[in-house]
Order: sequence, then C-alpha cells, then structure tokens
Amino acid sequence: MRATTDQTLTPGLQLQLYLLTGLVLLPHVIHLPLPVSLFLFATLSWRLASLRLPRLQPGRWLLIPVTLVAVFLIYSQHQTLLGRDAGVSLLSVMLVLKTLEVRKRRDLTVTVFIAYFVIVTQFLFDQSFLLLIYLLLVLIGHTALLMAIQQVTPPQRLFDPYRKTFWIALQALPIALILFVLFPRLTHPLWHFGYDASAVTGLSDRVSPGTISQLIQSSETAFRVSFKQTPPPREDWYWRALVLWDTDGRSWFTRKNQPLSATTPRLVPLSQAVEYKIFLEPHRQHWLYALDLPAITHSGAELTPDFLLHAQSRVTRPIQYEGLSFTEYRIQDLSPAHRTRALALGEGVTDRQRRLVHEWQADNADAERIVERALDYFHRNPFVYTLNPPAYRDNPIEQFLFESREGFCEHYASAFTQLMRLAGVPARMVVGFQGGEYNRLGDYYTIRNYDAHAWSEVWFEQRGWVRIDPTAAVAPERVRNSIQPGVGGIGDPVRFLQGQGGLIQSALNDLGMLLDTAEVNWREWVLGFNRDQQFSLLRGLGFGFWRSGGWSILAVVLVVSVLGLIGLRLWLKARLKLSPTIRLYRRFCHRMAAIGLPRAPQEGPLDFSIRSCRLRPDLAPQIRAITRLYIGLRYGPRETRPQRLALAEQVRRFRPRRLSRAE
Amino acid sequence: MISLAPPDWLLRFRRRARADGKGGVVIRPRSIYILPTRQGMLLALVLLLMLAGSINYGSNLGHLVTFLLGGIWLSTIIHTWRNLLGLTLQPGQTAPVFAGQSALFQIQITNPSSLSRFGISLKQKNLQGEATDLPPNERRLLHLSIPTEHRGVLNLPQISIHTVYPFGLFHAWSYAELDTHCLVYPQPATSGSPPVEASYTRSDDGDRGVGADDFVGLRSYRQGDSPRHIDWKAFARQRGLLSKQFGGDRTERLQLDWDLLPPLDTEQRLSLLCRFILHAEGESLSYGLRLPGVTIDPGQGEHHKQLCLAALATFEGSA
Repeated sequence: MRATTDQTLTPGLQLQLYLLTGLVLLPHVIHLPLPVSLFLFATLSWRLASLRLPRLQPGRWLLIPVTLVAVFLIYSQHQTLLGRDAGVSLLSVMLVLKTLEVRKRRDLTVTVFIAYFVIVTQFLFDQSFLLLIYLLLVLIGHTALLMAIQQVTPPQRLFDPYRKTFWIALQALPIALILFVLFPRLTHPLWHFGYDASAVTGLSDRVSPGTISQLIQSSETAFRVSFKQTPPPREDWYWRALVLWDTDGRSWFTRKNQPLSATTPRLVPLSQAVEYKIFLEPHRQHWLYALDLPAITHSGAELTPDFLLHAQSRVTRPIQYEGLSFTEYRIQDLSPAHRTRALALGEGVTDRQRRLVHEWQADNADAERIVERALDYFHRNPFVYTLNPPAYRDNPIEQFLFESREGFCEHYASAFTQLMRLAGVPARMVVGFQGGEYNRLGDYYTIRNYDAHAWSEVWFEQRGWVRIDPTAAVAPERVRNSIQPGVGGIGDPVRFLQGQGGLIQSALNDLGMLLDTAEVNWREWVLGFNRDQQFSLLRGLGFGFWRSGGWSILAVVLVVSVLGLIGLRLWLKARLKLSPTIRLYRRFCHRMAAIGLPRAPQEGPLDFSIRSCRLRPDLAPQIRAITRLYIGLRYGPRETRPQRLALAEQVRRFRPRRLSRAE
Repeated sequence: MISLAPPDWLLRFRRRARADGKGGVVIRPRSIYILPTRQGMLLALVLLLMLAGSINYGSNLGHLVTFLLGGIWLSTIIHTWRNLLGLTLQPGQTAPVFAGQSALFQIQITNPSSLSRFGISLKQKNLQGEATDLPPNERRLLHLSIPTEHRGVLNLPQISIHTVYPFGLFHAWSYAELDTHCLVYPQPATSGSPPVEASYTRSDDGDRGVGADDFVGLRSYRQGDSPRHIDWKAFARQRGLLSKQFGGDRTERLQLDWDLLPPLDTEQRLSLLCRFILHAEGESLSYGLRLPGVTIDPGQGEHHKQLCLAALATFEGSA
C-alpha cells in the first residue's frame, strides 16, 4: 500500500539479510548432512558474491534447476522428503533459495518469515540455554530488518532498528512468558512423523560384550535424582532400567511376546520407602529409571511384573517423575514359565563351565551357597575389572572366565548369570545405572552414562529375586565411586573418581556443579515444563481452583494488561510535551487573566504585552521583562538555562493584583 | 491495505479528526484504526504452524520462541497506533491549477512528541501521497496530488494518514478533514481567438509612437525621430516637419467580454475566456474581463492574470 513497497532493497539491507540468514543456519550445520550444508554454504556465498558482482545474480530460469538439484540432494541424503530431518533440510534449502530471488522488500519479509520457522526447528536438535539466547538474538536481527524496510529514509545509525526491535522484543517478553506458563500442554503429540534415527547414547535393550563399556566413554547425563528424605546408602543405588531374561550365549535380551505369568509377582517391602524425583533426559526409549525396586508408578507409565517402569510413549523430551522404592524387599511368586525361562541356556556352554559348577554343587547344593562360591571364584582368581577388555570373539563367556579374565560389568554379569543357570539357580540379568554424583548446590545426584551398569538377579526359594552384583566381588570400589572415563589403555584396571584433588580441581568441580545446577533448573522449569508442572505451579500461585478454561481467561486478561501497560507508556510518551518555557508563559497568562486581562487567542506575545502595558502601566516593567525573556527563549537561537531560570524567577515573582474600583 | 479497509457503508460511522479553527487536525487516540496487513496475517499463519510443530514435538523452547513472536505481533498493534498518535496535520499553500491538472495539496505533518515517527504517508481514497519519517519535534511538508475535473473551488476531500511501522504487520490509519481548498481554473479551450471587432478598443491616450504596425496620426517632429517617419508630403505642403505616428500592441486593450462570445454553454465560454486570458498575458496585452456580475478592469501581469482566472473559476453562472 505504500509508495515505497515496491522499491528494491538497498545492497546494505540485502547484505544484512544474507548475513543473518547465515547466522540462522549456522547451528544447523552440525545436524544437516554434509552435502546439504555445503549446498547452503555455496548458495549463500553465491548470493553474497552477486551483491558485489551483479552479473552473478541468478535469473529466474536458473532457479528452477538449482531447486531441482537441491531437492534431489535432500532425497539422496535422507531417502525421503518427510519427517524431521528431511523437513529441516528442506526448510533450510528453501531459505537460501529464497535469498537468491530477493529483490524487493516483500521478498525480504517472506525470507524473514521462513527464517523464523528455521529458528524453531533448531530446538528439535539442541535445547541448550546458550542456543536459545543465540537464536533469540538472531530472531531480533531478522525482525529489525522488517523495521528497517518500513523507514522511508535509511536509518541514521545502522544499529538503530536493531536497538528498537530489541526493546520491542523485551516488551513482548512478558506476553511470551504468560503464554508459556498458561498455554495448555498436551501429554501426547498431535501426530507422528515416525522417529528419526539419531545417535542418542544410552542403554540398549540388548547387551553384548562391549555394549556398556562403550557407553562408559560418555559423560552425558542420563538422569538426575533428588531424594525427598535422607538417601539410602550408596551401595544400594542401583537404578533399574531393563531386565534381560534371554540369551543366545553371546547377547542378553528379552524376547517379545512371552506368555505373561498368571499371577503378578508380589513385592513385600522390608525397609522404609525411599521417595525421590527423577529428571530424565530424553533417550528415545520407553523405559524409565527407578531405584531398585520401584513400588509405584505415575501417569503415562506402567509398572511391569519385572518391576520396571515402562512409559507409554518414547521419551523424546526431558521429563520428570516421582518415584517410590524399597531397597530391601522380597518378591514372591515365580511362575513355572518364568522359571524355565530363567534357567534357559544359550549356546557356548562348555564342559569346563559345567565342571566348575558341578564342583560347587558337589560341595553344597544350596542356591545361596552356590552364589557365594561363584562370587568367591571371581574374587579369588585374578580377574581384572577394566574398561578396555580384549575383544572376545568366539565364546565370550568362556574366554572371559578361563582365559583373559579381563572384563567389565557386562562380562561379569553375563558370566555369572550363565553359571547360575548352569547350576540350576534361576537367574536373569538387569541393566541400569549404579551410583550418582552429588551436586551440593542443587542437592541432587547426577547419573551419567558412565554410571551404566549390569548386574544379576537370582531366585532364592525363600527370598525371591535377590540382586547379586558380581562386579562388586572383583571391584568393590565400583559401587562406591564413579568411573573416571577416558583414562587407561587396553587391559588397564578401571580408575575411579575419588576424593578431591587440588584447589583448582575443587574449584572446577564447584563450577561444574554450578553449571549443572543451572542446567537442572533449565531442564526442570523450561525444557521439562509439562502439564503436571503447569498444574502444580498454578496451584502454587493460587489459581488451582480454576480449570484450564479459567486459565485461558487468565492468560487473555494478563496479555491484554501487558498490552495496556505498553500502550499507556507509549501514550504518555507520545503526548504533546510543552516545553518549560511555554509552561512558564502560560502561567503568566493565567495570572494576567486572573486580573481581568486575558490574552486573546490570536494575540501574539508582543501585542499582548503592548496592550496590557497600556492598560496596567504599573505592571509594565514586569510584563515587558517576562515577554522579552519569553520571546528570546522561544524564538531566539537556542534556549539557555540561565535565561530560563530568569524567566522562571520573573514569573514566580509576578503576582499582579486587580485594580480596585477606587483607583 | 486498501482491500482491508472497511466498506463504504460502514465508513459513514467512522471516526475522523476534524479541522480545528486553523484548518489543522490532531490525530487523537480514539480516531486511529488498526488492522493486520497481508504480511501480518501471513505471519499469524506462520506462527500457528510453528505452534503446531512445537506442540507436536513437545518443544518448550519452540513454544517460547513462538510466543515471543506472538507477543511482538500483538504489541506491534500498539506501536503502530502510537506511530500516528498525536501527529498534527496543517494545510499549507496550494497553488491553483487548471481543470484536468492535478491539484497539489501541501500538508504539513508535525510530530510534537519526543518519539520518532517513521513511514507516515498520506492518502486520499486510493490516491497515494508521499511518505516521510518524522524525527522528534520536527515537521515535514507532504504533497498530495488530487486530479481535478471541474473548475471551481476544490475543497480537500477527506484524507487519511497511514502507517505500517514498525514491522509492516499492522496497518494503522486515521481519517482527517482538513479545511483547505484549491482553486481550479477552467481548462483553457484548445482553439478559438477573441472576437476582434469589438473586443479591441483603441486606447484614448495610448503610448503614441511606441508601436510600429499601424499608422495612428501625425505629430510635430522631435529630435531623434527617424527620417523615414517624416511626412515629407506634408513638409512639401509647407506644413512643417511632422512625424508619422505608428501605434503598437500596447496601445490597445483587450476587453474580454462574456456577452461577445459565441453562444456556447457556460463552461465552454469560460474555457474560451481562460484561453484568451492566457494568450493575452503571453502576448503582454493589457486585458480586462467582463462577466455577468463581475468586471475586472484592464490590467496586466501575473497577479492580474490570477485575478481574472480566479473570477472564471468561481463564476457562479450567467444571469
């Protein structure tokens, strides 16, 4: 609608637009396939080059083949054009292709809108606070371009639109926060595009030799936990994720579609309940971690007969849940089917293993005695607990037990479980985490990938399933300390994180804790903000008695109030502001009017002065002085402070009286 | 956006800023209209898509960014409104034009506040005026050209002042009725010449001897007269040295008279008169104008021309 709308963009604005486009795509480079990133870089460079050399500017006929190349590139990289990853590639390519045809102001607007969309897609990959800040700045930059094209004359200072947009964004922030808190959150996604394979490190539901020791290399946080009361002793911190019943002799897993036992195993608590809250990082799996052994579950998850928490949908965003566990317990009832399952042997059982077990059984056939003998075997023989065991190829358990005797927790647990089954003791493998690092700033524990652990459970007829950790027999420090990852070569014993080093080390630890605490709050209140937290926050604020309909009204009322405040502020600023000089003169006129000498609307100050001096010669010196000062200030070259003070003084002292009739 | 402006029947109820005593208006808070522009609607759509994506992927940061843009979108309403608020419009001088030309109205926009205003433009119906930025406490002169069809006094129709600043998402406008006008002269006729017989009157005491075309009379010789102008025949008749006098253009005055025009309708006659006036002024003739009820004594010069043309423009009709 404006005469200026069709104007082409100045090269300066174009340059700003393309640079910002580069900035918005920058964080995506890590997620996008390399050829797509190269395409983006090349296209944007081409565009920037064509700013200097206009003959490089692509014509419309060239855009079609370039677009086709881009679509082909995306398809060849993702094998699809749908889904999250391909969609993000497509959107990024769309953005740079749009820059190729930017000529007018309207094109800039469309480019900026696409960039907004690209900004939001970044959070599908990374949700860190720093990224948010970076992207908010980029967003403000893009919005400032919208402002720059609305000005008729180019801004005096390059950063003026950026500065103004920053302030407008700051005013909009309260609205964003109100909506963020009050906007209803869904517990399930609206639709599924399918899950993209992405390299999330974490436990897997199939444990082979090396599965967990690979995980140990990562110090990424798996979850955090805060205990409601005094935490149980550290030796009891076994965080259960999966129970693995079945083996093929090499890997451990749980077959699907197994007959369910008719009776649900019963948990008999033998200790005080431990209450805690877990802040889980997204791992794209169904299982949830719980302290060995959980007794309750929360909405959106179920407690399986194996005493595992199983979420209804994969965990794709940070979640938090309450847990209640008993560290001492007795589980009753083992169905015959499960007993058979817990005794099934995989391939690779050797005579040497049988002889070893027979030896134990010959001494004492009692299950508990056999367990003791087995642990004693690990303890007594020169077993080494190492992160980098040799590669076991043919028969891992056999080679580990009798040849190299170097292994990690999964080696100990799988060998132990197999030996128990060989001895007729029902046994199964459990994987999860063990331990946790205390953060005293936030009073919680961080469990990282290197705390991943595997252990066994054996069935005693009197006591039910009992946790046995064969690793503890070899390396009891494992259950008291965390592993120090990334140290040591092949076959080296595992080093543990113990005590604190020098001052610098402890300072670094403190800094680490501080950052981790900040991250926890970030995760808890921003990333993990969900329906439950929304409800508890609003209850805490005193809006609990309202339903979500009431909250919508509340949101509208609050947003409108914020807008009202912004409007009021701007209205006050936009109002006509009289200069102090004019105010002083008005006061003078007011006093003149009070003695019956009002100034006529069309009367200039000088005319008024002459007329009133003639009518009131007694006031003439004062009137003339005020008028002279006023005219000097108002129409003189510049207002000076001494002059204004003089006028203020004159007006202050000007207290005319009405002439009495007698005079 | 023009297309988003309310329909005409609704416009009868619209608020507008009316002229004060000096013909100017102040844009008051409640006389400003705001609607989203096409781009504003497009962004709203983009935001809805972003929100749907954020909900679907459970991205709280996506929610946050979407809501921030939504907040900017909403607060833009106020910023756009504020961009017009308190501006004053004052009519300036408007030069008269001939019918068919565009009247160029000058309108002074003053920003009396300490806030800068940007992208302010004027419009009359669909006629786009100029756009300007207004730094604090500054004034700018904008031109609005309105085509004219008929002679007469063209009162500035209701105009509107527009802005889409800051982000082009919302369009704020306000209607203003400024008290100013433009004088529209009749369109000069393309052909026709003054009726010669009656309209040229000989000057009673014209500047004798100045011209060179027509013989006017004789006078006694003066020093410096061209020998070629001496009436040698008279000299031969012993009447002394006499110089022939020739009258020039300026010795005649053109009296442009309504009644002497061919029997055409009023507007055509006015067009003809307009043409004669322009022609006479161009030829540096002295001319007067006589219309029913209006008589302008002969004269010459720009001011005189304006006077005559104004008489044509404001002519009410023959008796």
